[in-house]
Amino acid sequence: MATNTASQAPTSTWSYVGGSATEAPVHENPEWEKARQALASISKSQSSTKTSPANRTSSQAGQYPTAVTDTSAMQQQQYYQWYQQNQQQYASYAYPYNYYYPMPPYAAGYPPSQYGVPGAYQPPTTPTGQPPAMAMMDEQSSYTSEPQPPPPAVPQPPPQSPTSSDQPPPPPPPPIPPLPNAQYPPPPSQTPYNPNGALPYSPTETSPMRGYNHGQPRLAYQGYQPPSYQQQAVGQGLYGAAGRGDANKKPNNTNMNKGQQLWNRMKQAPGTGAVKFNIPKRPYVLANQNFTTGEQTTSAATTIATPVSSVTTATTAGASQTGPQDWPQAMKEYVQRCFTACETEEDKDRTEKVLKEILQSRLQDGSAFTIDWTREPLPEVKPRQSRWEVVPQRSQENTIGRGGASRGRAGARLGNYRNVFSQRSPSSSSSRSSSRSPSPHNRHRDRSRHRRSDSGSQSDSSMSSDLRPLSRRQQRAGRGRGEDRDRGRGAAGERGRGRGGKANRGRRNMDDLGSGVGKKRKGGNAGMDFHDPNREAKKQSRAARFHTNKRTEPLVLNINAVELPNGTQEGLSWEDCPIVGTCQDITKNYLRLTCAPDPATVRPVPVLRKSLTAVKAHWKSNQDYQYACEQMKSVRQDLTVQGVRTDFTVEVYETHARIALEKGDHEEFNQCQTQLKALYKDCPSSNIGEFTAYRLLYYIFTKNSGDLTTELVYLTPELREDECVSHALALRAAWALGNFHRFFQLYKCAPRMAAYLIDKFVERERKLALRAILKTFRPSVPVEYVQSSLAFPCLDTCVAFLTGLGVTFAPSDPSKIDCKASSACLTSS
Amino acid sequence: MAHITINQYLQQVLEAIDTRDGVFCAELLSFKHPHVANPRLQLSSPEDKCQQVLEPPYDEMVAAHLRCTYAVANHDFVEAYKCQTVVVQYPSLGGTFQAHKEENWHCWRLFPMAVSCGQAEQQLLKKGKGKVGDMLEKAAEQLMSCFRVCASDNRAGIDDSKKWGMLFLVNQLFKIYFKINKLHLCKPLIRAIDSSNLKDDYSMAQRVTYKYYVGRKAMFDSDFKLAEDYLSFSFQHSHRSCQRNKRLILIYLLPVKMLLGHMPTNQLLRKYDLLQFADVTKAVSEGNLLLLNEALTKHETFFIRCGIFLILEKLKIITYRNLFKKVYHLLKTHQLPLDAFLVALKMMQVEEVDIDEVQCILANLIYMGHIKGYISHQHQKLVVSKQNPFPPLSSVS
Repeated sequence: MATNTASQAPTSTWSYVGGSATEAPVHENPEWEKARQALASISKSQSSTKTSPANRTSSQAGQYPTAVTDTSAMQQQQYYQWYQQNQQQYASYAYPYNYYYPMPPYAAGYPPSQYGVPGAYQPPTTPTGQPPAMAMMDEQSSYTSEPQPPPPAVPQPPPQSPTSSDQPPPPPPPPIPPLPNAQYPPPPSQTPYNPNGALPYSPTETSPMRGYNHGQPRLAYQGYQPPSYQQQAVGQGLYGAAGRGDANKKPNNTNMNKGQQLWNRMKQAPGTGAVKFNIPKRPYVLANQNFTTGEQTTSAATTIATPVSSVTTATTAGASQTGPQDWPQAMKEYVQRCFTACETEEDKDRTEKVLKEILQSRLQDGSAFTIDWTREPLPEVKPRQSRWEVVPQRSQENTIGRGGASRGRAGARLGNYRNVFSQRSPSSSSSRSSSRSPSPHNRHRDRSRHRRSDSGSQSDSSMSSDLRPLSRRQQRAGRGRGEDRDRGRGAAGERGRGRGGKANRGRRNMDDLGSGVGKKRKGGNAGMDFHDPNREAKKQSRAARFHTNKRTEPLVLNINAVELPNGTQEGLSWEDCPIVGTCQDITKNYLRLTCAPDPATVRPVPVLRKSLTAVKAHWKSNQDYQYACEQMKSVRQDLTVQGVRTDFTVEVYETHARIALEKGDHEEFNQCQTQLKALYKDCPSSNIGEFTAYRLLYYIFTKNSGDLTTELVYLTPELREDECVSHALALRAAWALGNFHRFFQLYKCAPRMAAYLIDKFVERERKLALRAILKTFRPSVPVEYVQSSLAFPCLDTCVAFLTGLGVTFAPSDPSKIDCKASSACLTSS
Repeated sequence: MAHITINQYLQQVLEAIDTRDGVFCAELLSFKHPHVANPRLQLSSPEDKCQQVLEPPYDEMVAAHLRCTYAVANHDFVEAYKCQTVVVQYPSLGGTFQAHKEENWHCWRLFPMAVSCGQAEQQLLKKGKGKVGDMLEKAAEQLMSCFRVCASDNRAGIDDSKKWGMLFLVNQLFKIYFKINKLHLCKPLIRAIDSSNLKDDYSMAQRVTYKYYVGRKAMFDSDFKLAEDYLSFSFQHSHRSCQRNKRLILIYLLPVKMLLGHMPTNQLLRKYDLLQFADVTKAVSEGNLLLLNEALTKHETFFIRCGIFLILEKLKIITYRNLFKKVYHLLKTHQLPLDAFLVALKMMQVEEVDIDEVQCILANLIYMGHIKGYISHQHQKLVVSKQNPFPPLSSVS
């Protein structure tokens, strides 16, 4: 069977798949990705390990082999996300698909009325065709071709789903999930699942359900297209898993319990409000379930999942101690609430960002476990504007169009719905869910049937027949298999994160693309409104308009949340996650850290001491600044990474500062000085005067009188006594008064390495002094005088300096400068 | 007012909010209002009450404010600061402040809150708590976010634009930045105000404050002319009852003026209790280098704390000039032997001075235009102009 399906699907789809595949990467948002990775990398190991167990707990529920479920779930998510990305492409392709496969679904353009009809509605528990799985059929091929990882997962091709929905749900759940086609398998497995899943899995573990659905399709997929599949798996490897796992956990909402389907739908309809007016709520809800395309549900789920997952991952990353599974239930619910309140994608993105910060800080200071999350105010995310900005676009799309500005929003919402159908999943909040459950299954199945018949491959038909009879148990078994496979693919690592980002991106793009695509669905879409995910939020805002709402939950002044500045507010500081290096290399090249440091490459302090001596010796003998600088930087880095702030650290910085000073390396010198200033507060060194003097001199160099004043304020009398400091102060006084004679006297007797610093601006001061001299003396001034007062080491250098400035010497006596003639040249320079 | 109950107070707040009476609302949330001293309002947990009467987020703000008064009464300034931060946070975090796009009455409310935020910090400062700078920076961040909201309010009409709040916030930020010595952060703020079309329409009080800070900054940047302009403006327009403010302005205006050749009268110094300057002034106008050094040393801490020590130091140049002028008047010739100056300097107990340094000092004076003339190195003489060899300071530089 597998072979059959494989052959058929690939052949038909491949051709255009290629084109779409290339596009996919473009949609990705690099910075987003990067940021997430960076965060993720910090707690990579933790999150990856943690997530899987977390998933297990729920998923296990007895039915599934724990390990399997985890991986599969995770992968599934990946796929979703991936799918979303691809969806954009698909949107445009949707129609073509229909043509290729003369299937009833899309082309037929089922009348909206069908959906609307209450009779059509099937109770959630009954397995309705699962849209997602079905949808995938067409697309799968395309996915595989794409370089991106999660191809098989994409079970839901949105366009087709409608057709499936039309048909009454096949009574028996599809028996054989994985085996048949990659495409078809998902529905069967899901159907059995969902019923169970919705209730039993309930709040905490919606994810597992999803995971299964998706996972299965993948299996099938593998079957027929092993090579491509593998590729993808590898590609996914890094980001997918962790994120997904997290996502799964989060969703646990109380809401989920009630009815995940509802939940999903609600999320989907971001701007739905307007639509509501047209249609009575109740019926539609029901209707929706029937006709919702796989896309819808899946997309909704995915979109929801992605933000949450990314949040989770990020937070976990930040507060490495806790994985999402450790999160207090209340907090999870809080997260869910936040996403529920989102009206649009933008909102969600913003919410995600804010949530990340909040959760991270909460987890870090441990208040996550102590505060009352139910009272926690939802983050204020949305800028009002965004809504309006978005609206016009969508409203245009909307053919239904109720004109008028006020209507605009409604239009937008409709647009969204449409989009949903056309595979772009606009909003949707976070349920990940089991919700996809029943109705989708039916559809799925139906669809699969149709397809098969269309394609005419026998294997398909046989499969479909098989599917129905399969009992839940069987399905589970199939699932189990699929999971195993998924696992086999391995790389459970941190896929989730990567995916999340992409998914978001994809979503957005899809919004754009989607507008063109799906006119037909409009009618059907209208029903969707009911589930406006933001109903609550809207209600609130509406209420707020009349200023009638008092706080419902007891007000708690969150004063302690306002951390004192010297506290841990910085989020991640090196002291918070101390690592101790194990590297024994004396020398190490400096590499700017782009991710969390690996203890294996970090040297502990004893080794660093050796390193310092080695570098010093090398410097003395070779004077190789490049080498010394690099080595010093790597030493500094290792110290920083390990949070070492001791006398040794001071010594390292002092050493480097001196070396840098000697070679005139401004940047490094300043970095060291900055660090030293901070370090001296904790570990005063005997060289504090020296470096304070250098700082004073540096301020003279930069003519920063403001900082100079500040520095003076903090000079203690003892410090003023210091040889270096007093010298620097005297020099400063001379400099401030333009007393070049004294200035250069002091320059000649500069202590320690001060002369190196003064060298930086000695030329400048010489010019100034020379200008004064030339203006003052008449008719001439001997070069010797200039040489001595400007502290030139010898007459020749002085003459060279003078001639370099174009000074005119007295014609009668070359040892004298003709001041009048020369003054012009200096003023111009 | 000082003895109202909590309920009365809350009703007043509610009323103020309902009627959009920003000024009154501001008073009710300020720390200069008598209600702060009202023990009946100093509750350790005012949340419940506030919640019953007010809507979010006002309830939280008021609750935080009340708890802040409680904390202050208990001299727990850290706690007070935290509470106050919550209060100030609100407008900045976008809740109410951003929501009311078309209104600027919130601006009024902001003012006292920011001020009291600063006050809480000052009190902290007095208590010698460590890390106050950090606290201030944090506060600056809060204010900065408020400022951004104000500055970016391009939509509302000029009358109710939140831009009217800009200058106030800028001044508060200046205050903090000067305190934590981050003058470079002022630049963007100055630019923002300079480019504002409301620049000259803000209230005089705000403008005086603004000019005071900008003048100070100009002085530190050695732009004395500009500093004189700004500081003079603020001194002249400062309200006559604000003696303390005038004194503050004078602390910076005096050195600038002296550098530009305008010496303050003793009467003025006495009036504003700035007699630290008396000796300096006297020394400079007499060319008494010795006295100047003594005066500077004597009041060094005061001058350094005010940040004007370096500026006053520059007065030495003027003192040299005046000293040398005396030498010139004594010798009554246009060709002055350098030795004469050396003697004069030695009389002033300048250490380790030699003929080269005399030449150097003279060279500087000539270069800067304080003396008209030239030095003949060959003859070791200063030859001064026959007309006006020591031009008046105000005409120089």
